[in-house]
Amino acid sequence: MPRISYQHLTTATPVVSTHHRIKILKKVVLVALAIIAVRLFFIQIIEHNDWLAKADEQHTLLETIVAKRGEIYMMDKGEPVAVALNQTTYQIIIDPAVTDKDEIKHALEAHAKEYIVVDLEEVYRTEGLRYSIVAKNVPRDVANKIAEKNISAVWFQKNNQRVYPEGEMASGLLGFVNADGLGQYGVEGSLNDLLSGKDGLLKTTADVNKVALSIGNDNIKIPAEDGKNIVLSVDRGLQKGVEELAVESINSTAATNAAAIVMNPNTGEILAMANLPNYNPGDYGAVKDASAYMNYTTEVPYEPASVCKNFAFSAAINEGVMTPDTTYFNEGYEIIDGWKIQNAEQRSSLYGTINMRTALYWSLNTGSIYALKLLGGNPGAITAQGREKLYDYYYNKFRLGQATGIELIEAEGYIPDPNEGWGRDSVYANMTFGQNLGITMLQTATAFSAVVNGGTYHTPTIVKGVLEDGELKAESFIEKINDKILSDDTSAMMREMLINNRNYKVRGGIDKAGYAIGGKSGTAQVIKDGAYDDTMSETVGTYIGFVGPEGELPNYVIMVKMWGEGQYLDGGIASNLFDSLSNYVINYLKIKPKA
Amino acid sequence: MQQTYTTRRGSSSNTFARNRNTVRHTKRSLGSISQIVIVSMLTLVFGLIYVAEGTKATSFDYEISSVESEITEMNAKKDDLAVEKARLNSVATAKNSTVAAAMEDATVTGYAAD
Repeated sequence: MPRISYQHLTTATPVVSTHHRIKILKKVVLVALAIIAVRLFFIQIIEHNDWLAKADEQHTLLETIVAKRGEIYMMDKGEPVAVALNQTTYQIIIDPAVTDKDEIKHALEAHAKEYIVVDLEEVYRTEGLRYSIVAKNVPRDVANKIAEKNISAVWFQKNNQRVYPEGEMASGLLGFVNADGLGQYGVEGSLNDLLSGKDGLLKTTADVNKVALSIGNDNIKIPAEDGKNIVLSVDRGLQKGVEELAVESINSTAATNAAAIVMNPNTGEILAMANLPNYNPGDYGAVKDASAYMNYTTEVPYEPASVCKNFAFSAAINEGVMTPDTTYFNEGYEIIDGWKIQNAEQRSSLYGTINMRTALYWSLNTGSIYALKLLGGNPGAITAQGREKLYDYYYNKFRLGQATGIELIEAEGYIPDPNEGWGRDSVYANMTFGQNLGITMLQTATAFSAVVNGGTYHTPTIVKGVLEDGELKAESFIEKINDKILSDDTSAMMREMLINNRNYKVRGGIDKAGYAIGGKSGTAQVIKDGAYDDTMSETVGTYIGFVGPEGELPNYVIMVKMWGEGQYLDGGIASNLFDSLSNYVINYLKIKPKA
Repeated sequence: MQQTYTTRRGSSSNTFARNRNTVRHTKRSLGSISQIVIVSMLTLVFGLIYVAEGTKATSFDYEISSVESEITEMNAKKDDLAVEKARLNSVATAKNSTVAAAMEDATVTGYAAD
């Protein structure tokens, strides 16, 4: 039977074409499967960790457990009282496009009027605005009241706010906490690490509501270590009293600024540390001049002028080359290295042979220069030995020009080298009356404490301890130095001369009977354009002294400094503030007079 | 030729043939449907136990979360009260109080003898 061919009835070999298509389809499928296999290989093997991390991210809750910042306390009648605390506050945020204007306005005005930070009318007039912070620092209970109203598109952002219940008091000492939670300036800045504590960590499996679940093998919970509650040695009432008297003094003189320290010379404890004018640390952003943040008692070295005569005299007496009765010939001036150095006091009765007691009382520069000469073993000239001995006392014994080690931010200052550089004799002559060097008030007050307390240098401290479970526990965060640097006799002679300074005419009658009150003033010229302003158009007034029962070692050392740009403020003006403070200290701290 | 034996119990018409088992062992097992049902039931029971335990753990976690929220809230209240107390005890508040305003200035009257 003949085979019939149908080839002529088909077009373009349909059988072959179908096979071809199937083959292509197979190949496509194979390629697709291969691509999927490769992709799976990449996902499962190569990118395994990345995908695992992505999956973990979706059901893992990773949170920092924020450590609570430690509180700061001062002492008040032997009990710690809080001066810096924490409070949870809220920012209220709205979406003006959704939030009902009348509802939010009514709620804010009814409950949080004092916390509103914007003009609501202006907010609602602004086209396209979808986000606006309308109130800040809103307390928790107030925020709750507004939240209860369930107004649409209102959010509450939680903040940890630092609160200073004493307002502006001791702002220069306390410092503040910035928006990032970091302590700045003062105790907040210097003890930030102790106050901050250590944040903890929570890593756990969570559900869709972000509620931590106990299932899972990789859950981690490291608890936060809260910051320490620091108790300062500062007495709150004394601090307040010192600040009020300093403000009165500023208001009654040409001064614009004042700083004061009250310390216990026998322990180095600071009882008051004032920097005026104050600012509100809870609203630190409102301060226009950043210098207002400074603690002028520790951060700003200056030339304290004649109060340094205490140190030059102490050195000479301690070396056994001088007593208060040692005499010298006062001509009213000295020529050293070609420079004429003269006394501020030029009354004729002082010319001729006078003793060192008189020289200290009238604050004669020639007297302190004579002490330097005696230190060098040559009453007729300043020698290298004299300079080196003065340097040894200033820098090594009194620790002037170096940080004291107190728990605060400090500047070091500067004491010139006794041998290196031009004009060492004139530089060291100036140093005997507090010029040509840079030291802080705290360095000066601490060294002066050693002069009057029997001769022991105590590292100053402002921390009394920590508060744990409501109990004060003594704790120190510094290395304390308690070095005997002067003899008892030297200290006694210096106290006698310093008491004489006040009793002998000018300040007589101001001090209370039964008390030993001594002191020394200083009027410092200000360096302008690299040179001392001889016109004395601007000066800084300083006074340093001690208070205690008559015949006993002093209980307290008080140092004050007053200044103002372009103002003449001498040691006499500063001594007026010292007078007020010493009487206040006697009354407030109930120092008993000699019976 | 086939031999027949009579049992000792006597002859009967039901005689046993030689080399034949007198007991027939039949394989007795559950049917496949029963197996599926049982396995399903067991799976369901274990599943339910697992889910119940899981839910129980989760509900505890919610309870813990709720207690922690309460602790946070109470701590916040405690902080608020501490701040309020500190403000009320501040020197400025005491000085400006009506009680302080009505007080007379203090004077030092002397010291008790030791």
